[in-house]
Amino acid sequence: MVIRNTSRTLVGAFALALVVPCSTARASDTSFPTPTPPAAPTATLIAGEKGAPGLAIKTRKVLTVPLEGTQYFDNAVVLVKDGKITAVGPAASTPIPAGFETIDAGEQWIMPGMIDLHSHVGGTFDINEMVYLTNPGLRVSTSVIPHNDTLKVAIASGVTSILFIPGSGVNVGGQGVLIKTGHDKYEDALIRNPGSMKLAQAGNPEGWTIGVGRSFMNWNTRAMFSRGMLYAQKWEAFEKGKGPKPERNFDLDIFRELHAKRTQISTHTQIFQVVMTTLTMVRQQFGIDVYIDHGEMAGYKLAGFAKELGVNAIIGPRNVEVPTRGFINWTGSNPEGILGIAAEYQKRGMKMIGFNTDAPVIPAEELFLQAGMAIRHGFDATNLESVRGLTIVPAVTAGIADRVGSIEVGKDADFVIMSGDPADPRTAVQKVFIDGKRVYDTAKDKRLF
Amino acid sequence: MILIQRLLTCCFFAALALPVHAVPFQDEGGDAKKDEKQDDKKDDKKDDDKKPEDRWFAVVGGDVYTGTGAVLRGATVLSKNGKIEKIDFDVYMPPETKTLDATGYRVYPGLVAISSQGLLGNSGGDFEDTIDPFNSRMILGLATGITTTGSGSSAVKLKRFSVDDMVINDKIFSIFSWSNRSPRGKYDLREKFKNTSEYLRQYREWEKKVKDQKDLAEPSKKNVDGSCLSVLKGETTAKFVNNDADELLGIARLAQEFGFRPVIEGAQEAWTVADELGRAGARVILTPRDRRPKSELQAREGGTSIENAAILHRAGIPIAIVPSTEGVDLGGIAGRDIIHLPIEVGFAVRGGLPEQAALESITITPARIMGVSHRVGTLEVGKDCDLIVTDGDVLHYKSFVQYAVVDGKQVYDKERELFYAQIRPRPVAAEAKKVDKGETAPVKVDPAADAEKKDGEKKDDEGKDEEKKDDEKKDG
Repeated sequence: MVIRNTSRTLVGAFALALVVPCSTARASDTSFPTPTPPAAPTATLIAGEKGAPGLAIKTRKVLTVPLEGTQYFDNAVVLVKDGKITAVGPAASTPIPAGFETIDAGEQWIMPGMIDLHSHVGGTFDINEMVYLTNPGLRVSTSVIPHNDTLKVAIASGVTSILFIPGSGVNVGGQGVLIKTGHDKYEDALIRNPGSMKLAQAGNPEGWTIGVGRSFMNWNTRAMFSRGMLYAQKWEAFEKGKGPKPERNFDLDIFRELHAKRTQISTHTQIFQVVMTTLTMVRQQFGIDVYIDHGEMAGYKLAGFAKELGVNAIIGPRNVEVPTRGFINWTGSNPEGILGIAAEYQKRGMKMIGFNTDAPVIPAEELFLQAGMAIRHGFDATNLESVRGLTIVPAVTAGIADRVGSIEVGKDADFVIMSGDPADPRTAVQKVFIDGKRVYDTAKDKRLF
Repeated sequence: MILIQRLLTCCFFAALALPVHAVPFQDEGGDAKKDEKQDDKKDDKKDDDKKPEDRWFAVVGGDVYTGTGAVLRGATVLSKNGKIEKIDFDVYMPPETKTLDATGYRVYPGLVAISSQGLLGNSGGDFEDTIDPFNSRMILGLATGITTTGSGSSAVKLKRFSVDDMVINDKIFSIFSWSNRSPRGKYDLREKFKNTSEYLRQYREWEKKVKDQKDLAEPSKKNVDGSCLSVLKGETTAKFVNNDADELLGIARLAQEFGFRPVIEGAQEAWTVADELGRAGARVILTPRDRRPKSELQAREGGTSIENAAILHRAGIPIAIVPSTEGVDLGGIAGRDIIHLPIEVGFAVRGGLPEQAALESITITPARIMGVSHRVGTLEVGKDCDLIVTDGDVLHYKSFVQYAVVDGKQVYDKERELFYAQIRPRPVAAEAKKVDKGETAPVKVDPAADAEKKDGEKKDDEGKDEEKKDDEKKDG
């Protein structure tokens, strides 16, 4: 049976290699020339957008949440020019340059656009291929529908970037893509492709065909990773002039990205034993950048170990661990009390804690509530950890903190104007900007959320 | 005992209904009267044998949010035999009064969930026979602050450890179907209301004339629908479960034509026809987080809106709020089920509903809809002493219910139950725990808990022990 499965995987890889040429063109968005799009109709430029006059926003509170340093300013100003943030600071020390259009947001708060690192609503739903158990070559970038209706509602709650990833029906579902929620064209929306390689280690792949157990899944994943990393090493050697040119294997190309640390593995891992495998196999044995992307259940017991290895935890969609003889008892954990998963990670020293929705498991627009529920169940957010978990932590985790995740000079002007505490359901989002473009404005648009 | 209680409850409602249908349902009325007399005798005997002492209970020092809009900071809520006797400052309390210190906390009326599933631990049948007053979901309900819930067509109190007098209204709704998919069904329902209202008109005429003309025949009850009759007589409330604007308009017209105030559950597109529903006197049960796109076949506004509750409130429509999951979800995703009822209300506030209306949507409004607002829903003198003590705004996501009180009895204490004790424990209890472990620490026990023990609330303690054992079993 083992042999049959492996040969299947190999045959799959072969078949993929056959069909690859048509999909490669869409694959690496930088290496192939894209056809020039037809010239856009000339519209009046709105302040803050590319090529338009600058935009200045005065407001009561700006949650800047950089990775280090001052986390917020009161009575502050944010300056935006050409879709980038050009200045942020207290109104007294941040002069507004001439020619900038000024918005006075009054008592509102501004925070960076939220980032959801586990989302399945970036496009069509045919993203859970279950023909083979490992599919490192599959891409969901071909399924993206930019600015779709679900994303529009997500924007209305302040979600500006998502990692759109394949489902978890098999061990390696394929490659995710990091996109912004608010642009109409894929090219504009794209942040990075591949955004991640999706690995699912437990919980769902067990149902694959006639059923596989965890031993086989681990064995099979390890085998795939060995092949992939070997392939990547051969290419590295070739590029350094130390070896022959390897034969191109499109199925394994993602491992070159992983090996060069240009992308990460986002892993659906949740219970103790499985998180242990994530840490020991993916991180320690193969040295791949990996993060816990479906942080649930008793996985928190390994928070200290994960922190040591630099593996961040993105929590969700489950946000609590419940004492019950009910269906989640298969996790082997039955705590004394309702435990907040984020709080338990935090208690064990983990600093880099983010939140996800696994949309549509939790609607994409309720990402903020994951932070609220974490606080309710014991997560300490005294130093804006809740806001950080929605912004800078996922940005750093996914390696896109150079562009998004905080309100800092030089970063993309992705931010949200809201009536107060971002984690409170009662807070109403007023305006959302992506790359300086006003993608949602309750003054003009219908309230979507 | 249970049987007697049930009889009493039946009598209570029969007695309530008596003045309305004294003559047409003579048999029923007669029976009820007999029962009542018998029960009265029994009660009298009991009173002769043993005079129960008055049970005094007070919550002191908390900021009392009465739910009527009034807030009394640092006030006392005093109750006698489960009914609120006084809400005021510097209240005289009889020496035997049990007190609960709520200093630094807020006191709210117990929340009223217009519907829920599983909190009572029953599965059909009579509540007193099937309810499990020791079940863990009832604890979770109280932990949410819910002290009264609608269940089917009844309003039931979450009386822990006891099933006595827990049903406070068992005849709330008559449920009707009104669907665009069944024009025939709509026609039939209208005919039923027409025939029934015609019968009612004839019956009232007959009622006047029969005093003089004793031989006059009573009008025929042929074609009279029982549900329609009880709605038109005001004994029950007509309830519809509808979402489409067209159907909502149909219900509004029907209600205006026959003069009743409908309750509409769902009401996703109600915000597009708020004025019409307001004029028809409709009351609405909604879920702010409901999500439905507009039908592609219509050009006008439609689908759900986060502003639904706010728009309906502005049109004068009373709103009760239910979460998207009416049961307790122990699957690990917190924030969407009945034990996060105030979170759901938060989404209505997000859409523009004022905070006071938001609080009312889970207190007095559902109590009014269920016809139990004379007992629960606000903190007012004469009403049941059902209240919760919270560590913050009840609508804030971080707030926890510290204590819940039902009928002037403390039935929930966060520190003493399995579920939330470990989250931000109260300082006093933290010290008490230290002592339990045998460490040397200043002995400083919760005065309320202490008082309770001294007074020998054996019944409660036993219940708690049993519950604990039960949970241990589950854990094992």
